[in-house]
Amino acid sequence: MRTGVLSRAPARLPLYAAPLLALLASLLSGNALALAPETSPPAPSELPAPTNFAAKDRPGDGGNATLLTWKDPAGLPEGAMIQIRRAVPPAYEWAEVSAVKPGVEHYEDTSAKDGTVYRYEIRVADTAMTTGAPVVSDPVASRENWFSPDRTNSFIASVLFILILLISIAMAKSGKNIFIRRIAGLNAIDEAIGRATEIGKKVLYIPGIQSMDEIQTIASISILSYVARVTARYGADLDVPNKDPLTFVSAREVVRSAYLQEGRPDLYREEMVNYVTYDQFAYTAAVSARMIREKPAAIFLIGYFFAESLILAETGQSTGAIQIAGQADPTQLPFFVATCDYTLIGEELYAASAYLTREPILLGSMRAQDIAKGIVILLGILGIIVTSLGLAWYPNLFKTK
Amino acid sequence: MAPFVDRLLNLDRRWLFLLVFAGVAVPIIMPMGLPVTTTASTRSAFEYIEALKPGDCVLISYDYGPSSAPENDPMAEGIMRQCFMKRIRVVICALYALGGLQLANNSLAKVSAEFPNLKYGVDYVNLGFKDGPAAVMKRMGDDIVGAFPTDVRGTPLAQIPMMKGVRSLRQVSVVVTVATGLIGEYWITQAHPQSGVPIIVGPTAVGAPKYYAYLNAGQLVGMLSGMKGAAEYEKLLAGRYPELGRFYKTTHAFTATKGMDAQTVIHFIIILFILIGNAAYMSQRAARRKAAAR
Amino acid sequence: MNFEFGRVALVVLFALLPIVGIALGFFVPALRARGPLVVGFFAGIIPILSLYIPKRFLSGETGMRPRLDQWLIIVYGFALLLGIVNVIQNGTRKISRRESGWPYSIVLLTGLIVTGALGIWGAVSGQGITTLPDGSGTPFKWIADHFFLPLQATIFALLAFFMASAAFRAFRARNTEATILLVAGILVMAGRVPLLEFLAAPFPPLQPAAAGASQALGKLTEWIMQTPNGAAQSGIIIGAALGAASMAIRVILGIEKGYLGLGGGE
Repeated sequence: MRTGVLSRAPARLPLYAAPLLALLASLLSGNALALAPETSPPAPSELPAPTNFAAKDRPGDGGNATLLTWKDPAGLPEGAMIQIRRAVPPAYEWAEVSAVKPGVEHYEDTSAKDGTVYRYEIRVADTAMTTGAPVVSDPVASRENWFSPDRTNSFIASVLFILILLISIAMAKSGKNIFIRRIAGLNAIDEAIGRATEIGKKVLYIPGIQSMDEIQTIASISILSYVARVTARYGADLDVPNKDPLTFVSAREVVRSAYLQEGRPDLYREEMVNYVTYDQFAYTAAVSARMIREKPAAIFLIGYFFAESLILAETGQSTGAIQIAGQADPTQLPFFVATCDYTLIGEELYAASAYLTREPILLGSMRAQDIAKGIVILLGILGIIVTSLGLAWYPNLFKTK
Repeated sequence: MAPFVDRLLNLDRRWLFLLVFAGVAVPIIMPMGLPVTTTASTRSAFEYIEALKPGDCVLISYDYGPSSAPENDPMAEGIMRQCFMKRIRVVICALYALGGLQLANNSLAKVSAEFPNLKYGVDYVNLGFKDGPAAVMKRMGDDIVGAFPTDVRGTPLAQIPMMKGVRSLRQVSVVVTVATGLIGEYWITQAHPQSGVPIIVGPTAVGAPKYYAYLNAGQLVGMLSGMKGAAEYEKLLAGRYPELGRFYKTTHAFTATKGMDAQTVIHFIIILFILIGNAAYMSQRAARRKAAAR
Repeated sequence: MNFEFGRVALVVLFALLPIVGIALGFFVPALRARGPLVVGFFAGIIPILSLYIPKRFLSGETGMRPRLDQWLIIVYGFALLLGIVNVIQNGTRKISRRESGWPYSIVLLTGLIVTGALGIWGAVSGQGITTLPDGSGTPFKWIADHFFLPLQATIFALLAFFMASAAFRAFRARNTEATILLVAGILVMAGRVPLLEFLAAPFPPLQPAAAGASQALGKLTEWIMQTPNGAAQSGIIIGAALGAASMAIRVILGIEKGYLGLGGGE
């Protein structure tokens, strides 16, 4: 139990001795706030006191929080709680902060303010509100931190991944040949658009229902850029109905640029890229109706879809169109696989821009992705071996907050 | 035979739709009372809540909209009934923008009416809706009041008796996210690592396969998948609490157990379609091979 | 004026820098493409840094990261306005040119104008968008409850029909993989419902055996979902997450420019 100098002052000293000694102590220590607080009167000895009590700034946060840790004493009665109180030196008015159940052994005080020094006191309280001997902490002040140590493993993994990416791109730029396996769905894009041109029907491109803050939508718009260039080249009609307004704006820019780059601005029409509605099923109904009325020859369902995926794909299938779908999230993939001619699964969607353009830099980044996947597989195999040998610390290396 | 097989393979899909309609409508009009068997993932969720003590706090997050209400409503209401039976405090919130709050209000009104001895603010509270689910969860991990300064009625949380001592997700015993779409995953990948709060998820049947990966990894303590999961939960509740057993038997309201009759028939019809379609396809293939051999 | 570092940084990065970029772009066309990439870099790097650096100016409640999220919502609102204008333009064009399906455009525009007007009136007049001060519902809410919600549920309900027709047409045992898919699909569909009890219902002597078989089928189903399915889902999730991370870094570093219509990597 920590107490200050004064509380142990013998009873026989003169009355003025206590303040004099306090002043002396503060002058010597140079820190007036290190004055020990007046603690609560000693309690009955039946209730034990917690041990190893420490108060510190909560690590890895934006400040305004302190972290208290302690060890619960043995022999606590049923229903006992650990009371936590706080005071701001030099005034020692203890204010209730919280009470926690035994077994928790820590508390985060998120009502602390940066720059204010606090002292904390914890004590056991039973159901009759009798309290045990208090334990007081050293002074503590919270502050902002520059780094979250809880996320060190994630930080290392991110830095490693970026390094692998940059090295792979540098190798690709130096002329190293990078192999990328055949992806049937991407090979079929030109064929699908060619078919649409031959029979004089439009190409319908549905870029998913999520917004541009979703990485699958960005991948979809990249593929749309390629599709628009091919439709401009072949002279096929393109229709891009959108559910999300940001995606609509991006898609419009991308299609317009594609037609300009192909030297066919005359073929571009504003109504090619259109906004339908924000509601998921109203959008589905509108696009399905468009498919049935206009019978496109090729339908692309590329992006992030939810429950409407099967309705759109099955309606498209019923019109006889060639369908190419792609989604990274596995939830709707079975429906696409069952109803579409080609499906891009998982990361094939993200490989599309590299695959279609064959730009060395993009191919290099694909290689980096595969290297990272290889590392994850190796770590997984290592984990199986290590955990089977009973070494339980291994999974904790990968836990992150 | 060949013309029949060809006609079968090219059958107008409207006949299929008619059969499906009959398969769903008839069991609803004439319930069969088919039995429900429970699965490990649902039992795990049930036992986790059963192990909680009176006064513990459970957060139920309404992360779905009206379109999946027939699957998700029975899940949320079943868990709410279990908590109320055990006098576990229930905190309700809605993070799904299109209709989540309305569903939360309807469910709470319905279930709380069955427990007139429980009081709002003491035994349960409705925090209302907040947009930006990931940011809200991050905030709740540290400070629930920061995310929801007041409840749905506008009362500051500091004035609500049951919220004393429930400052963040760390003081919540388990979060039950009844979800369609991404929000259920956010609870698992963002809220759980940050605060360590255990998660039970109640996804729609189409989203359930993905959550098995999280269940196997120990990131979930239980899962109720689709209407079947909800029906299993109702069976477990009826088995543990006779009053709830009587309720589920006699209520005229829709329950997941009643919906299972229609689901059974429709599964049977679809399996039949698959078998007939494959039989016709095999027959056609055999005929083509025979013709090619000649 | 509040000159917090985070606010000033955001104004410089997302207001001043783009304006300077656009102005310079008039004189140096090569810079025109760079501007969006620079803005994209900062828009991407700030949330990543806020994951690791808990400083308040970056990750706090009024830090750069939450402000960016709020700005996204504001940008969204303007984009929504563009979308609505586009809907009205397309609708009126279809009606004036009597293009295929033009009567539906009349229905669409009527619904848009009436519902939008009621919602805006509720907000501007202070009466409330969905609930009037006396607690009753507004006309906007009536339209939502009687048109929007039932129509939404109807379209969602179509899934059952489409699933049946897809199952009839697409689940064919064309090769080994398709056969495995087929068998697994049938087992899971049968195991998730009391199918054997349903089939045995007219035959009481078979019911105990059906119940036992149903239990076993249920366990097999649970194994299929947990083991092969769980493993495959984990693999796809991890692969897709790595792909997403790679794509995100390419976008942030300006290597991936297809989504801006600027062509391949550079």
